[in-house]
Amino acid sequence: MSAPGKTEPTELIAQARTGDTQAWGDLYREYAPAIFRFCRRAMPTREDAEDATMEIFMKLRDKLVQYDASRSFTAWLYKIAANHCWDMLRRKKARHDKDMDDITEVPLQCPEPNQLEKLIEERTGEEVRRALDKLGLRARMALVMRYYSDMSYDEIADALGVRRQFVGVVLLRARHELRQALGESSALAVGGAR
Amino acid sequence: MNELEMKLEQPDDPCLDEMTLLLYAERQLDREAAQRVSLHTQTCTRCLTLLRALDRGSRLLTRSMLEQDEPFPARLAEFHAQVKRNMQWIWGVIFGLAVLGVYELYANYITPVQTQLNDAGFTGSSLLSLVVFQGAFWKGWASMFGLFQFLAVTVMVGFGLFAFRRYLRRGSAMAAVVLSGLSVLLASASPATATEFRKSDTVTIKKGEVITGDMFLAGNHVRIEGEVDGDVFVFAEQLEVSGRISGDLIGFAQTERISGVVDGNVRTAANNVTITGSVERNVTAWNESLNLDSGGKIGRSLTVGGESVVLDGKIGRDLLGFFKNGTISGFIGGSVRARGEMLSISSGAEIDGKTKFDGHKEPSVSADAKLGSPVEFTKVEHKHEARTGDYYLWRLIFTGTFLAFGLVLAGLMPKFAAESVESAGQVGISFGLGVLVLFGVFIGSLIACATIIFLLVGISSLMLWLIMLMAAEVVVGGVVGQWILGRSDEFWKFFLRVALGVVIIRVITTIPFIGFWVALAVCFWGMGAISLTLYRRLQPAFAPNIPPAPMPPVGMSTPLPPSTTVGGI
Repeated sequence: MSAPGKTEPTELIAQARTGDTQAWGDLYREYAPAIFRFCRRAMPTREDAEDATMEIFMKLRDKLVQYDASRSFTAWLYKIAANHCWDMLRRKKARHDKDMDDITEVPLQCPEPNQLEKLIEERTGEEVRRALDKLGLRARMALVMRYYSDMSYDEIADALGVRRQFVGVVLLRARHELRQALGESSALAVGGAR
Repeated sequence: MNELEMKLEQPDDPCLDEMTLLLYAERQLDREAAQRVSLHTQTCTRCLTLLRALDRGSRLLTRSMLEQDEPFPARLAEFHAQVKRNMQWIWGVIFGLAVLGVYELYANYITPVQTQLNDAGFTGSSLLSLVVFQGAFWKGWASMFGLFQFLAVTVMVGFGLFAFRRYLRRGSAMAAVVLSGLSVLLASASPATATEFRKSDTVTIKKGEVITGDMFLAGNHVRIEGEVDGDVFVFAEQLEVSGRISGDLIGFAQTERISGVVDGNVRTAANNVTITGSVERNVTAWNESLNLDSGGKIGRSLTVGGESVVLDGKIGRDLLGFFKNGTISGFIGGSVRARGEMLSISSGAEIDGKTKFDGHKEPSVSADAKLGSPVEFTKVEHKHEARTGDYYLWRLIFTGTFLAFGLVLAGLMPKFAAESVESAGQVGISFGLGVLVLFGVFIGSLIACATIIFLLVGISSLMLWLIMLMAAEVVVGGVVGQWILGRSDEFWKFFLRVALGVVIIRVITTIPFIGFWVALAVCFWGMGAISLTLYRRLQPAFAPNIPPAPMPPVGMSTPLPPSTTVGGI
């Protein structure tokens, strides 16, 4: 799951596990920006992302002793982050009665399946991220887990609480939804230009 | 045979669906199915194109998500979560201690004063109504109520928006809240009344002249010979009222003489006040000398503080006085409650109610004076207040409060706390700056409040001043603790030093006489150290770089990595 060539700071992690505050501080500074970006993609607002980042590291600090050093630390950290963000979103759903299953309304078949690639290529990264904001919570979360943090289908299934076989369906529908959102913004841009 | 296998074996429609190709691109198919897809895409251009599109789409999506579009928030630059979580109970403790402190203040200080004022005729049902609605300057404040109302609501709305900012994500919602608040304010606003201002070296309202409405008069010599149907506010060197004021007279003057009639109250701060005329309601006067002439009359109560008070005239109700020398030779319809050095009750005096006097010398009472009851005299002696168990209990509680406050400060602002303690190490400069800030900011804030326009600024700076005052002991405690135990940057060790220092300071300030001066010095020292830290923080400096995310740079010009997806780290 780590970037190619990137090694994990095992020594730092080991020191942080023993309660070394300096090591913990270094570990935090090392991973917090990436986790914040993950949360920024997954959560609806910047404030939510900031809160989520802090809470994830609070959890991490408590759970650090449980970390199995034979596994990837990054993967483990993202799993914690994903679970936490999804929990927060579910709580938000309970508060605001947001629909988290709207993705099921998106058809699985798409007349132009390769259109997403073209649309993303035509757009800036910022436009793509803005389009992500328009997706349903589950769709957005699935895309972030898969394409930002490179989580496996098993991990995504575990975090979202769905069967593994359903993850592909969720992702495909999420991609269609994103294509739709990008297409709409494109149409709006063309309309505005006229 | 599953659906995929059936699909792969269908000879009439050999092309694969998007789902299958996505699973293949993402390496989610089992070996056998993956081999079939691989074989098919070698011969089917359509499926190969779609597979490449899906794969590229995934990688472009990854690249878009990995872009570092916004800076890492400064508030997340350091990890404060442990402290944040541990602080939860502290707020409860602080709240509890604050409630206890307020109760103590109210029970031991405010209630006795209120009782005394009630005795003197200020019969407000509560302290709030006493101060605000029956207070000395109520008439003056009344006209400004709309402004206060606006400021209060604005501050409340501001706090509300800040507190619920996370729920007000949409600008329209925020605008709706703000507009609703403004609408309520506009709807509830009352129309303004006309007020006349006169400013000159000599301001005279001539005999026969009738002014309707409130007046503000300023000048060296102010004479009111005519009639004012409203309240009069005067700032003058000499003030003479020989006419009639149907409202209140609120005056600040060197010499003030009332020979006419005031139908309302007189509230005044002046060097010399002489009343030979009539005041129908109450008089509140803070002055060097007050003389109620034999022809003078106060319809209700007199509250006076000054060096010399001579009362030859008539007071309808009670007298509450704080003076050095007091002489009563006139009529008082109610009771007398006075405190001072000396009180003389002459032969012509008549007091219908009780007379209580707390003073250094026993009052001189003429045998011909008519008193409702004998004078109750309490000799005031300079002695140190006896320290009971309650005193030490409260010292302990306040020590706990300071420790909790220190814990919160050190937890919420660890860097600032450490810097403040470090600044306190520079004793001379901290002390000097502290003297300046303790008096300067306080006076400046009061002036800002008085200007009304800068009321919000004044209140804010006053609050900041108060917080600094509270934190001063904690900061000095920190430096004292470090002198004893040595320096440490670790949170709990740092707090241990603060706690030790605070306890030492609290013990020293308990010592009679010395304690007061030590406490004052600690205030100067601590406030100076905090001010010095604030000053240094406000100096322009290059912002420290936040460490970059440990990931390979992914830009639009960077070639996509060979793997399908790349994690964020």
